[in-house]
Amino acid sequence: MPDIAFVKPALPRHGALVLPLAEDWVLAGLAQAIDAATGGAVQRALAAASFKGRKGQSATLWAPTLEGGTAGPSRIVAIGLGKAEELTSEVLEAAGGALLPLISAEREAVVAAEALTAPQTASLALGLLLKSYRFDRYRTTEKEEDKPKLERVALATDAAPAAKAAWAPMRAVADGVFIARDLVSEPPNVLHPPEFADRIKALESLGLEVEVLGPKEMRKLGFGALLGVAQGSAQEPRMVVMQWHGASGAKAKRAGQKPVAFIGKGVTFDTGGISIKPAAGMEDMKWDMAGAGTVVGLMAALAGRKAKVDAVGLVGLVENMPSGSAQRPGDVVKTAAGLTVEVINTDAEGRLVLADVIHYCQERFAPRFMVDLATLTGAIIISLGHEHAGLFSNDDALAQQLTAAGKAVGEAVWRMPLGEAYDKQLKSEIADMKNVGGRPGGSITAAHFIQRFVNTKDGPMPWAHLDIAGTAWATKDLPTVPKGATAFGVRLLDRLVAEHYES
Amino acid sequence: MLKVKLRTTPRADAATPLAVPVAAGHVVPFPFAVAAGFTGASGQVAEQPGPERRLLLIGAGEPRRPLDWEQVGGAALAAAGRVVRLAIDARGLPPEAAAALAAGAALRAWSFDTYLGTPEPGASALDLVVDRPEAVAPLWARAEAGVRGCLFARDLVAEPANRLTTRGFAQRLEALAEYGIAVDVLGRKRLRREGLGGLLAVGGGSVNPPRLAVLRWRGSVAAPPIAFIGKGLCFDTGGISIKPAAGMEEMKADMAGAAACAGAMLALALRRSPAPAVAVLALAENATGAASYRPGDVLRMGSGRTVEVIDTDAEGRLVLADALHFAATRLKPQAMLDLATLTGSIVTALGAHRAGLFGSDAALMAQAAAAGEAVGEPLWPMPIGARHREDLASDIADLRQCASGRFLPDACHAAAFLREFAGSTPWAHLDIAGVDIRAEAGPLGRKGSSGFGARLLDQLVALYFEDPERH
Repeated sequence: MPDIAFVKPALPRHGALVLPLAEDWVLAGLAQAIDAATGGAVQRALAAASFKGRKGQSATLWAPTLEGGTAGPSRIVAIGLGKAEELTSEVLEAAGGALLPLISAEREAVVAAEALTAPQTASLALGLLLKSYRFDRYRTTEKEEDKPKLERVALATDAAPAAKAAWAPMRAVADGVFIARDLVSEPPNVLHPPEFADRIKALESLGLEVEVLGPKEMRKLGFGALLGVAQGSAQEPRMVVMQWHGASGAKAKRAGQKPVAFIGKGVTFDTGGISIKPAAGMEDMKWDMAGAGTVVGLMAALAGRKAKVDAVGLVGLVENMPSGSAQRPGDVVKTAAGLTVEVINTDAEGRLVLADVIHYCQERFAPRFMVDLATLTGAIIISLGHEHAGLFSNDDALAQQLTAAGKAVGEAVWRMPLGEAYDKQLKSEIADMKNVGGRPGGSITAAHFIQRFVNTKDGPMPWAHLDIAGTAWATKDLPTVPKGATAFGVRLLDRLVAEHYES
Repeated sequence: MLKVKLRTTPRADAATPLAVPVAAGHVVPFPFAVAAGFTGASGQVAEQPGPERRLLLIGAGEPRRPLDWEQVGGAALAAAGRVVRLAIDARGLPPEAAAALAAGAALRAWSFDTYLGTPEPGASALDLVVDRPEAVAPLWARAEAGVRGCLFARDLVAEPANRLTTRGFAQRLEALAEYGIAVDVLGRKRLRREGLGGLLAVGGGSVNPPRLAVLRWRGSVAAPPIAFIGKGLCFDTGGISIKPAAGMEEMKADMAGAAACAGAMLALALRRSPAPAVAVLALAENATGAASYRPGDVLRMGSGRTVEVIDTDAEGRLVLADALHFAATRLKPQAMLDLATLTGSIVTALGAHRAGLFGSDAALMAQAAAAGEAVGEPLWPMPIGARHREDLASDIADLRQCASGRFLPDACHAAAFLREFAGSTPWAHLDIAGVDIRAEAGPLGRKGSSGFGARLLDQLVALYFEDPERH
């Protein structure tokens, strides 16, 4: 990934020069300077390419000759920003993402960003950086010329200090995104629960407090549901608790501050267990831990930007395997909350994991709210597709905050209903509930299952559940996400905290 | 239809049970009921033991809306069991509540026994005991119209497909002329002239020819009409993309959207609604035959656009597309709503408790949702995203009819497809695939066809389209 720098405007002598241009903008600053230095070649090239500054437009002028024979950029790339009055952060991020492939063969690029504000400049850089993510650690024979060369992108601006200030928290969030994408991309033989927990432990260097619980501790806590899922695998399960004391310092607990809480489903591989999945596409199930990966990325982002909030992140890490010791359909397990569950389908395991972790989170931290993330159901893909994650909540205010935050960062959520009639579908003849409620409303009944472990008896507990099964993995490039792990939710929840929960 | 008689006192007839609604939070003036733990909570029923006239106390909970009273009325009817006549004591209740009690009882009483040698026993008459019959009568007349519209729709949906063919359906619609509804049925020749290639292709495989039925209610307000567009697949085998055998008999109900629209028109006519309304119902049988359309076919639709067929079992959107285009261009309505048992995807999404609501007009969608809440036919808004439309790009035609693969948001795809044919008319689409059939009895209906949508549309018109100052 390229380094990002903010510099004073000066014409580069090599590499790429990028001209971000909105519709009807006249060339100014470096853009005007390079046009003059090339004897008007830039203007002519833009006209020849019918470049009007529209969103998604671009034009490249190769190796222009500079007057006086001085060295100049090897390419000049104009990129359209659309209408000047509609320069939202999303537009600039998308422009940054679209720019990347146009300059990735260069080692260095200078972006003439003088016409942009400091936050706009930073947003452009963020889009470019997010798009530049690559997971290539297992490619051993890739040819040098196929690898991206871009090492440094300098954004030329007269407001470099302000842009740097705007950039610092974005950079931290981008790092959180990359942590999540790495975790989600890792193959399941590498990233099993113990390894996942070790990687989270390593984030203590950011100032996070990390506790790792193994099967012995979880047995003591009565995590019958989570352990039931894990029992078929040779890999031990883990629960990891991350704490960030950004509002009150390390004495948060003593000060009695209520944290905000995020809970992630971390099934490092999901075969379905005894209710085994069809073979086709099963490799995708390595990303059935994306909820947990997202929570880890989020906690890293909050710590990285020193967010003024007390936050906890909890992830339940298991592998769901069929084996002689695996859980069976028909088994009844007892959750940490004391409720019993009849396991009808061992492939509806995520909710079993979440049930115990959510209960633990609430008992221990009594948080201000809980948001859980999980690649929970195929039904949510059949419901909404890949543009929206499903949002379920018992709290309208929290749901609205999440919807707005998602819209702002391009991670859209769509609210789905809850209701007693759906909850009834979970009725079991032998236990307090079944773990599935049938095909109709499959995502809704899954949310209801989780909701049964949100304890509102002692007062309201705002809770939201994000079903990210359709958004955790991109099968084609998105504006700021290369095909693959998206880290959907890191930016959304970071924005939620930044907008509403920082002191 | 339950015969409802308004009376001021119960008739002296020991064979007619008397049901008394009791709201929660009041003193229950019957020791037997108190002893049985009856508190008036919703869903509770207590019956007085003994040889004299049956007395049924019906828990009413905390009724606030007419819908709550309807459910109490339905519960009373259900509790009465196998009797010929039932009396409900609505004395002391507001006239609106009394009318709603009767409406609920009538909805619950419906059954479809055309083909039964011995019809199922159940109440056929209701004595509604009220303080002031003259105050209740007009309210009941209004409510009855909606009920009859709903029951008409239920009857149509319940009919087997060998009886309710496309021609049979059209005949049932033509009979609505007696209520002042103008009915025009377009046959193949006129469909060809209109160029409705989607409807013609879907209906092409069957010996029962496709039809487009146009129903008009003039109303009295000088305004463009509201238009109801219904999917009327009298039977859906899936066509060449044939469905699995298990459960295929339910596909006789694949015309529930058209039935609901027809029911709504009947309701408007019965209560002489001032609002002008039209219904455009696309009737076809999707059969597996030598002349069936095929996956890969390219159709030219009524709008002139070309569509690549991917799956002949995604036929509903094809007939609706033509019906929407026809309605928008020929009838120039102020708003269009289509109802269709369109996708299995919506059942996966929302189950059997809500229908999916899509559309291009936020105000119309909000109005439809409010009308649905009022009559107990709830909707839930669903998205049409840019990706959904992109997924319909075709290599050979203007668009493809659906996407292919696993885990597809087909309800969203279908809505994105329909939007292309709605033009600029404010439009909403209700995917009722999960709610057209009741899997088990509820307070407002037995197991079987629900008539979902007929009362919703009637209510929508009553709430928002009858104001002469509108538009």
